This record gives sequence, C-alpha cells and structure tokens, in this order.
Amino acid sequence: MASLGQGARVLVLSKERIESVFPHIVDSGYSISSPESSEYNCIAWAAEDTEKFWWPDNLNISYWPLEIPREETTEAFVRAFEMLGYSCCEDASCEEGYEKIAIYADSSSKPTHMARQLNSGHWTSKLGELEDVEHDLDAFKNSDYGDVHMIMKRPKEPKQ
Amino acid sequence: MSRPAPLIDIRIVDTTGVGTGEDSNSLHAEYERQFEHYYLPVSRQWSRPDIKFNALKTEWKTNTAHLSSITEICMHPAYQQIIGMGPLALPYIFAAMREKPDHWFWALKAINSEDPILPEQRGKIKEMTKAWLRWAKEQGY
Repeated sequence: MASLGQGARVLVLSKERIESVFPHIVDSGYSISSPESSEYNCIAWAAEDTEKFWWPDNLNISYWPLEIPREETTEAFVRAFEMLGYSCCEDASCEEGYEKIAIYADSSSKPTHMARQLNSGHWTSKLGELEDVEHDLDAFKNSDYGDVHMIMKRPKEPKQ
Repeated sequence: MSRPAPLIDIRIVDTTGVGTGEDSNSLHAEYERQFEHYYLPVSRQWSRPDIKFNALKTEWKTNTAHLSSITEICMHPAYQQIIGMGPLALPYIFAAMREKPDHWFWALKAINSEDPILPEQRGKIKEMTKAWLRWAKEQGY
C-alpha cells in the first residue's frame, strides 16, 4: 500500500467498501465512474441532477418536487419521474431512441435506490454518498437495495 | 505529604500542522485513539462528549454511507444517539460540518427546534450547510 499514490489508495478503499456492502457486484462486473459525494444521491443521479439530494422525507430536508406527495412509496417515485417525461414499461433492455431508469425497492415495496441506463445498455448508479458506478441491473442482489420494482422510459432528446 | 508519582506519565504532543504529512497525522490520530482505548475504561470514555460523538459518527458513517434514503440514514441508532446527546453534541456537529458538508440537518432540527433553511435550499447540501454554520456563528458556536 505504501508504494501506491493517494488516489490509488482511495480507490482500493472504495472498492473494498462497495464490495463488502454489495457482494454480488463483483460477479456481475462493475466500474467506479466518479468520486464520492454527499451532495446528491441516486435519485438525483437518475434525474441527471448533481446539485441536490432528492428524497421525500417528511421533515422537508431533501429536495422533492412540490407537486408530488412526500411519501416513500414506489407510486410517489413513479409520479416524480413522470414529471420528467418517463412512463412505466416492462422491458429493461436497451431500446434505440429511449432512455430508461430503474426503481429498486425492499420487500415491503419501499423505494431504496435508482439507476439510469447508459447508451451501452449498462446502468449507472450513485451509491449513497459513495461513488457512481457502472453495473448490471442485478448487481445489488442480496443487499439493502432489494430488487428492481419498476422500469420507466422516455424518448431521448434529439441531439442538437 | 507529597503526592505519589503517577504510574504512567505519557504526554501526547499535538504535532498536527508542524511540518508533518497526511500519513503522519493519520498515524498520530490513530495512536491517540489507541492510547485512550487502552488506558481509559469504556464507561469513562463515553462520559467525554468528544469521544462519544466521534465513536457514534464513525459507526453511523460506516453503516449508512451506501444508503440514499435520508430517513434510513438519520434513523440509524448511532445518529439517534447523537441526537440524544442534545446541545452537548452541537459543537462537534458544527465542527464536522466545517470539515465536510453532511446530513446533520435532521439532528440539528431535532436538537434546536429551529430551521434556518429556506424552502428553495432543500436538498442543496452545501447551501444548507452554509445556512446552519451561519446560524451557529450567530449563536456563538
């Protein structure tokens, strides 16, 4: 370790931490794509917002669209993303002309996490205040994130 | 009658910032932690608010860093114990916030029954941190 630079040491620690919390992520393959930050979370990252921490907490601490009830339910999350042009769909595969997001929830259907699909078909997630990672949809199996409960899609904006 | 000499006489010298590198400072901090852990009984350690706060903060961060739900993050038992410290925790919370913006807002709201955050600042961690640190300064922290 002593021979590694500061950046490399941080990366090793990050990988250890991520892999201890998400044991399945190693088998499914993943890569770290940005430094850690507590300024935004996975919901914000799915909404392509790196300025705010999104969550419908009832203490009014986090950002949540005013028009949507501050409830920790899949329905409230779906409505928040419908406001961004997404609609529910069945298929998580990569579809030409569409971008997709996934809502993860625990066994009581309470949302825990969100991911956004990349052009490659892989998914990108912000892991709490840890790093953003690229991963497979089932990378968080057997973890606090539970399973995918909803897929949503919207047409991609045409490139200028 | 003169007092007996203490059994141990170990002095920790603060070397932070005296031409030392980050690794040296980390080693020094760990040495201090080990020293306190070895010589002070746990019950006495927890009577010191700084030690109690730092232990709870470490436990809280270790167990919640991967979570996105602010509810889950702030309902963690260690975080709730920090809230339970009441105003005693405030100087340590503000010191932690000065070092790095983090989710201390729930605890601050619970301890102070006040909230200097404007509705349009909700979720903007840096702005919320600045607002609370401004409040802390006004209150003499």
